[in-house]
Amino acid sequence: MDTIAYIRYYLYYVASFLRYIVSFVATKLEKYPTEVKVAAVISVLCGFTIVVIFIRMLFMSGSRKNLRLLREHTEETYVDAMKFLLSDEAPEQMSREEICQLFGLDPAVNPEPLKKAKEKQVFAEVFYELFINDKSESVRMGNIHTMLEIFGIPEHLEKEVSLSAKRNKVNALNMIRAYGLSISPWIINKLLNSKNLRLQRLAMYTVIVSSSDSSMDYFETEFFDKNSCIKDEIELAYSLNRRRKAGLKLPNLARWAHMHKREFTQCLFVRLMRRFNQVEYCDQLKDLFRESRKKKLIEEISRTWGYLHYVDGEQMMIDSLLTQPDDTKVAILHALTRFGTGHGLDALLDGFHHSHNPHVRYEALRCLYNYGTEGRKAFDKLELEASEEDSKYFSFFHNPITLAKVRLDREQAYHPSMETVLNG
Amino acid sequence: MWLTIYYIFCYLIFTYTLALIVTYVIMVFLSRRTRQKLEINMPDDNTIKFLLRGSPLTPAVSVIAPAYNEEVVIIDCVNSLLQLDYPDYEVVIVNDESTDRTMEILIEEYKLIEVPYDIAMRVQSKPIKRVLKSTDERYSRLVVVDKVHGGTKADGSNAGINVCSNKYFVCTDVDCVIEPMALYRMMWHVVNSPAPMIGVGATMLMSNGCTVQDGRMIKAEVSNRPLPMFQQLEYMRSFLISKLGWSAINALPNISGGFGLFDTDIAVKSGGYDPASFAEDVDMLLRMVTYMKNHDLDFRLAMVPEACCWTEGPGTVKQLFRQRTRWARGLFEIVSNHRKLFFNPHYGPIGALTMPYIFIFEFLAPILEMLGFLFMLWLTPTGGVNWRSAFVVFCMIYLFCLFISTAVIYNDYKIKAVNWSSKRMNYLKLMVASILEPFVYHPFQTVCSNIGYLRFIRNTRAVWTPIQRQGFKKKDQ
Repeated sequence: MDTIAYIRYYLYYVASFLRYIVSFVATKLEKYPTEVKVAAVISVLCGFTIVVIFIRMLFMSGSRKNLRLLREHTEETYVDAMKFLLSDEAPEQMSREEICQLFGLDPAVNPEPLKKAKEKQVFAEVFYELFINDKSESVRMGNIHTMLEIFGIPEHLEKEVSLSAKRNKVNALNMIRAYGLSISPWIINKLLNSKNLRLQRLAMYTVIVSSSDSSMDYFETEFFDKNSCIKDEIELAYSLNRRRKAGLKLPNLARWAHMHKREFTQCLFVRLMRRFNQVEYCDQLKDLFRESRKKKLIEEISRTWGYLHYVDGEQMMIDSLLTQPDDTKVAILHALTRFGTGHGLDALLDGFHHSHNPHVRYEALRCLYNYGTEGRKAFDKLELEASEEDSKYFSFFHNPITLAKVRLDREQAYHPSMETVLNG
Repeated sequence: MWLTIYYIFCYLIFTYTLALIVTYVIMVFLSRRTRQKLEINMPDDNTIKFLLRGSPLTPAVSVIAPAYNEEVVIIDCVNSLLQLDYPDYEVVIVNDESTDRTMEILIEEYKLIEVPYDIAMRVQSKPIKRVLKSTDERYSRLVVVDKVHGGTKADGSNAGINVCSNKYFVCTDVDCVIEPMALYRMMWHVVNSPAPMIGVGATMLMSNGCTVQDGRMIKAEVSNRPLPMFQQLEYMRSFLISKLGWSAINALPNISGGFGLFDTDIAVKSGGYDPASFAEDVDMLLRMVTYMKNHDLDFRLAMVPEACCWTEGPGTVKQLFRQRTRWARGLFEIVSNHRKLFFNPHYGPIGALTMPYIFIFEFLAPILEMLGFLFMLWLTPTGGVNWRSAFVVFCMIYLFCLFISTAVIYNDYKIKAVNWSSKRMNYLKLMVASILEPFVYHPFQTVCSNIGYLRFIRNTRAVWTPIQRQGFKKKDQ
């Protein structure tokens, strides 16, 4: 009997068995009232579902055990070689033969070391785990690509992306992006138009890493504008960084800040400009600063100008300081401190005197304290003249613990050198 | 006349039971939907860690833990919190004027000194006496707040909110052991949401019977003792079916006070925790939702089953009785204080679905069960019970309870929510618990709930009696 006939027979058997159960229950319950019938049917359904769930768990447990064993075997066989390949000790450019030797393979005897898809998947996962947790100074991507080719991983991942379940697609795309592998355009185009948001976004981020085209028009859609979140920014920053490391040109991010309507999306691109030092496009933010009514956007533009030392924007910021909301005021005060041109000193004093918000006042003092010799003089003078209520702001600066732990803006992680500037 | 009332009552109860079954089945399907969504949207731990650790955009978190007379567990607790794996967080321990050596132990162990701190009393709490920080660089994340005794956890949490400096805060208990990756997993939902995420819930489990070393969970096990075993099953059912299900439609009614993440700004704007409340966690979440809806702001609530927190539950019947009567009072309070949300579509799915569900199936259930039991007792000697039909109905309820427990175990198995030391053994214990639960544990709970309701109605003064801590070291032995 062939397989299809067997399955058909099996299904027929199951169906007739179920029909028998239903008719048996129906006949037995014929004389009972409706509520008893309902209760009996629910009981049978519950019992049946419990059995099905347990059988399913039994099968799943078997396949999980196999997978675990396969993983253990892969780790035992290849993990040391993988670690060496990721370490700083690995030679700059290793040949195919050298890598085969490292992994204990003989291409003449065994040209395809991993034959089954499961084996390749487990191998890829084990290496991915090591790769993203790797802290070595410089990873030799050339060696990694050669090793992946030897084990047939790129083809396997491409197959996973195009044919497997969504969860596996996501995992495969994550790996492709991390390794900077190229992928067939027809597969990626299909994913770029996917209905699933996660897949669509991941496809975008994967293309960014390796695409030679810097137009990236998929960011111009309203769909991106509507659904963008912090995670998009994190992933975009990561992909753009990989792109920059690969020596490819970065797109003009200020253009997208203009193009989108949602404040969050606009801020996202302005922050990314800061992240990728796009000083050359700062000019394009001037009209946004002047015309926009979005306070968060103005705050982000001020920060960006400050970090990128775009001194042309200083006067605009000084002029608008007192009319801005509190958070924006703080961002402007920080930017003026970073410029340190001397023009911003009066604005910092205004920030302290004309604000009612304790946070703004404290930040204005902090900026003054860090504004060179002139700033420190003004700070000392203010401290001498401070009223009893104001003196609490100054007490922070004389306590060694609080001064050392003064919270720096999160964005300063982009520019660690500013830490020293702010701490004096 | 009496016969008509009898029939109406019987059919009402039967319809109620059917409605409850249908609701639970819907919950199981909704939890399945959330689980499937998580499978796609939640990458593996390594990827989450890699993306969030390396980014300056990862939001900072304050972990707040109020403590009152916790000298036995305080060091383990602080060590556990300081060992969390997250790039930017602070630990705020609030000492509620303990009468034992809690504060002295903290000062000695972490070399704390008083520091000037500008505290804006953003939410109501008893005055803060001093703020202390460590002179040791290793404990730079630690902030200890010493405040005037408030007598409730809510008051301590509010003091912590006043001191915390981050956009998000996590509220926890000192006896909790948090999984190291929990913050990462919760934060992934925050950064992955286009709308502001105002609250993220995690899975709470019982630490009774588990092995904890240096504030870390070494061996996760279901306790061999019956009370913690029943509670473990109950917790898992609540978190892995009910809350997971509600989160599918953004209608999560509760983020546990034991371990939950909140948006500080929204929590402050909605008044923080209510120190007078018996269900301060549900109360605050509902006020946050009300605030967002009243201001026409979009928001999200999420439940992360993979983020686990282990807490010590009542080990004796007396302690359990106290806890459950307090919870019942809390439920009554929620139902009466937030009645404007009931069937009110203005408050979205929480108003239209969750609150009616809480009222009909959680609040009324113990009352109806008690009535049904008394009715049965009255009918038995009069010969008014058809035992064959009663047996079929009983079978239905019993098998349905088993089905729900099986679904819980299946969800846990699929999500890999809990890292059990031995899946087979622990699932077996849970199944045994689910077989016995309807006869032993559930009737006890019903009695506790009814007594709690009565106490609320009679306005009996309740005293906050914390569980007698055993400490992790004793538990290990």
